[in-house]
Amino acid sequence: MTAETAEPSVKPGGPGPRALARRRRRASVARFWKEYRKHRAGVFGLAALVLFVLVALTAPLTVGSDVDSVTDAPGQPLESPSGRFPLGTDQFGRDLLGLLVWGSRVSLLVGLLAAALSVLIGALIGITAGHFRGWYATVMMRITDWFLVMPTLVLAIVLATVLSRSLGTIVLAIGVTTWPTTARLVRAQTLAVESRPYIERAKALGGGHWHIMSRHVLPNVMPLILAQTTLIISSAILAEATLAFLGLGDPMVVSWGGLLQDAREAGSVSAGDWWYLVPPGIGIAVVALAFTLCGRAMEAVLNPRLGVSR
Amino acid sequence: MNTKDQHDNGRTGHRPWRTRLLAAAGAGALLLASGTVAPSAASAAATKDGDGGDKVLTVAVAQSVDSLSPFLAVRLLSTSIHRLTYEYLTNYDAKDNHVIPGLATEWKSSPDKLTWTYTIRSDSTWSDGEQATAEDAAWTFNKMMTDQGAATANGSFVGNFAEVTAPSPTRLVIRLKKPQATMTALDVPIVPKHVWEKVDDFSEFNNDKDFPVVGNGPFVLTDYKPDSYVRLKANKDFWRGAPKFDELVFRYYKDQDAAVAALRKGEVSFVAGSPSLTPAQADSLKGQENIRVNDAPGRRFYALATNPGARAKDGTKFGDGDPSLLDQRVRHALFMAVDRKAIVDKVFRGHAVEGSGYVPPRFSSYFFEPSAGQKLAHDPAAAAKLLDEAGYRKNADGKRLGKDGKPLDYRVLCHATDPNDKAVGKYLQEWWGELGISVTLDCLDNVTDPWLAGKYDLAFDGWSVNPDPDFALSIHTCDALPATPKDTGGTDNFICDKQYDELYAQQLAEYDPGKRAEIVKRLQSRLYDTGYMNVMAYPNAVEAYRTDQIGSITTMPSAAGNIYGQDGYWSWWSAVPADSGDSSGSSSSTGTVIGIVAGVVVLVGLGVLFTVRRRATADDRE
Repeated sequence: MTAETAEPSVKPGGPGPRALARRRRRASVARFWKEYRKHRAGVFGLAALVLFVLVALTAPLTVGSDVDSVTDAPGQPLESPSGRFPLGTDQFGRDLLGLLVWGSRVSLLVGLLAAALSVLIGALIGITAGHFRGWYATVMMRITDWFLVMPTLVLAIVLATVLSRSLGTIVLAIGVTTWPTTARLVRAQTLAVESRPYIERAKALGGGHWHIMSRHVLPNVMPLILAQTTLIISSAILAEATLAFLGLGDPMVVSWGGLLQDAREAGSVSAGDWWYLVPPGIGIAVVALAFTLCGRAMEAVLNPRLGVSR
Repeated sequence: MNTKDQHDNGRTGHRPWRTRLLAAAGAGALLLASGTVAPSAASAAATKDGDGGDKVLTVAVAQSVDSLSPFLAVRLLSTSIHRLTYEYLTNYDAKDNHVIPGLATEWKSSPDKLTWTYTIRSDSTWSDGEQATAEDAAWTFNKMMTDQGAATANGSFVGNFAEVTAPSPTRLVIRLKKPQATMTALDVPIVPKHVWEKVDDFSEFNNDKDFPVVGNGPFVLTDYKPDSYVRLKANKDFWRGAPKFDELVFRYYKDQDAAVAALRKGEVSFVAGSPSLTPAQADSLKGQENIRVNDAPGRRFYALATNPGARAKDGTKFGDGDPSLLDQRVRHALFMAVDRKAIVDKVFRGHAVEGSGYVPPRFSSYFFEPSAGQKLAHDPAAAAKLLDEAGYRKNADGKRLGKDGKPLDYRVLCHATDPNDKAVGKYLQEWWGELGISVTLDCLDNVTDPWLAGKYDLAFDGWSVNPDPDFALSIHTCDALPATPKDTGGTDNFICDKQYDELYAQQLAEYDPGKRAEIVKRLQSRLYDTGYMNVMAYPNAVEAYRTDQIGSITTMPSAAGNIYGQDGYWSWWSAVPADSGDSSGSSSSTGTVIGIVAGVVVLVGLGVLFTVRRRATADDRE
């Protein structure tokens, strides 16, 4: 967004160009929301997301950072759900509801950061490859293809094993392994945009590479990137949970995947301590689903060709 | 030589807790359900007694075989198999661990303590019909003394041997360079000379091609598939009497929950655990019909080792241990901040005994308890004072500063595959955090590399101790240090202490058991004072078996002891099949049901996600 002053223009003949732009944007947001509202699944996903984000953001107030302390654990190990502990306790006697709330922060954060990283790489490579063509595009697309055929999970496991165990590593491992689809999508859209006549006009008027890419191509592929981001977040959250479940996360950080891993290691699968296993699993599934529903609804709104069937 | 436990996976032999397999490669978060569901379908074949008339005992193990060659094998599973398939000169009594005849019926030492003469029994035959003689034993020892490749696993036993001869088929004579108290505890499998002399390269030969493998133990090794199973058949001609089961199968389960589920289903008769069942698993199995949980004092200690400044025999220092740990007061302060009782109560949930000396209390004659004045009791306030005295004071942020002015931050090497390490690590982080010291848990699947390179500050360490503690003590002598930083020594934690070495040499030369035990206790006292090896607990052996498949089985020691990983073949040799032939106890456990429900929930969610994604991308690509 360009920085604009809030005061409306006071030209006598009518609103100035900036005010016009603002009005246009506001209208398009309203139109977007009107369209979006028609997708009931999308609204449901958005509501679920808002709820989860609120829970995660307010966690320091509601459960506090002491919830993962093992020395001050309030309960007995592996207590089943009760009035005091609605979701029971874990192997250290910690309140599982609190851990679940606390863990949502890490799961959401890693999911968002990893998706952002993935989309950033994908958009950069996609736009430049679509814009420059030639040998650069060939090389970039072959690299993309190579990453595309690599099994994502295996590559992420290798990366997470080689690097030190931390959240940053997990973000990096997911980010650098999931970008190829975005790159391909963005490149295709870039090619379509660049074949339009006004790009040619811009070039004729002396627009450089940077100008074309940032002022004309990027705004046009932005909706696609947004939708793609929302979709990738869900797979990033799943990937984070998988890596943590495989014991590749930071063992000192509470996350949903890490909770599942703890539960498995404590032997609660065979012991039948369902309250340790089911809530984090459902949490992962619901958040991933919510992001997918949102992403799909956004895609449908922004891309009329997808029709109204969904 | 069987000082290794379930987890021993090390390339250098005696490193029980170091390297472990990636626990669940190829699994995903979704596997939480299949953990219980999949194994049910895995293998229902082996255990059903009565089907083909053969009584089969199936044991679920969590360790894979490193080698089936007695000259190379170091892991607990492999050495247990060698106990079952080869005779050793001596054995340990199941009741109280005292030395009893094995292949040798009697033994005596010369007055100068340097010549030992063993009488070899004449009623032991190899499974191919040949007589087992003193010649076989002499050949085995000589091979280890002359061939470096054959000395890989048990070389330490023959290091002090001058000459081994067999004057007659029933007489074995060993001449020593120096007196050695462990001559009745030579845990070396004796192999048949007529089979093994054909082997060219002992460092490569794994003894896993020609089945059945010729042996003279209570069982004969008949089949082996890597990471899958090891099959043994009863030796009906065994001199001590034939085993009651016809077949013994060690089946490999990567996931402990899967092994427990198999036990519930009756697909396996026994679960060993890795290294033991978790408290949750033990508690849930306790109430089950036809299942007995054996919870007995273990022969292992669980310790926190501090890096004493890694160095080689040639004096070269290497590694990057924190210099503050070279101060004994710091080591003591760290350990005084550790609440051993909380670890036993919370992490092991009572399935362990609070740590004190080095040798577990199960070996009562060698067990050492620090005196009241010596004991590093749990006292965080005193620990903080000790750190202040040592010059490590807190800064404005409450962090203790090292001599270089930077806050202390210790890296603790932990086994990613051991839940106990991680759990204790969480407590350490909070206890030491109170002292103003940060902790970084360095959880790795393979801890051997940083360990051998001395690149750690503290580390979780654990060893199984034999009835004769010599081996477990030898790993802390200066002699065990690697020759150069590039070599691998027998050392556990790079400890090299003059006083310790003198006491170690004394106990090895002392033939009187009472006096030797006294020296061993002084040795442990010295080790305790150095603060290099801080024993936190002695974990119990928690294992379970089906009483409708195993009628009775011997524990070692018989009063309260373990079944898997004994110093002898007593458990499997003595196991009696239960009368009732069929095992119908396939009660569907709530765990399985819940696992399935959770799995379905996740799968449905994924299914929706997947279809949605596919449709979306298909549209994009049009």
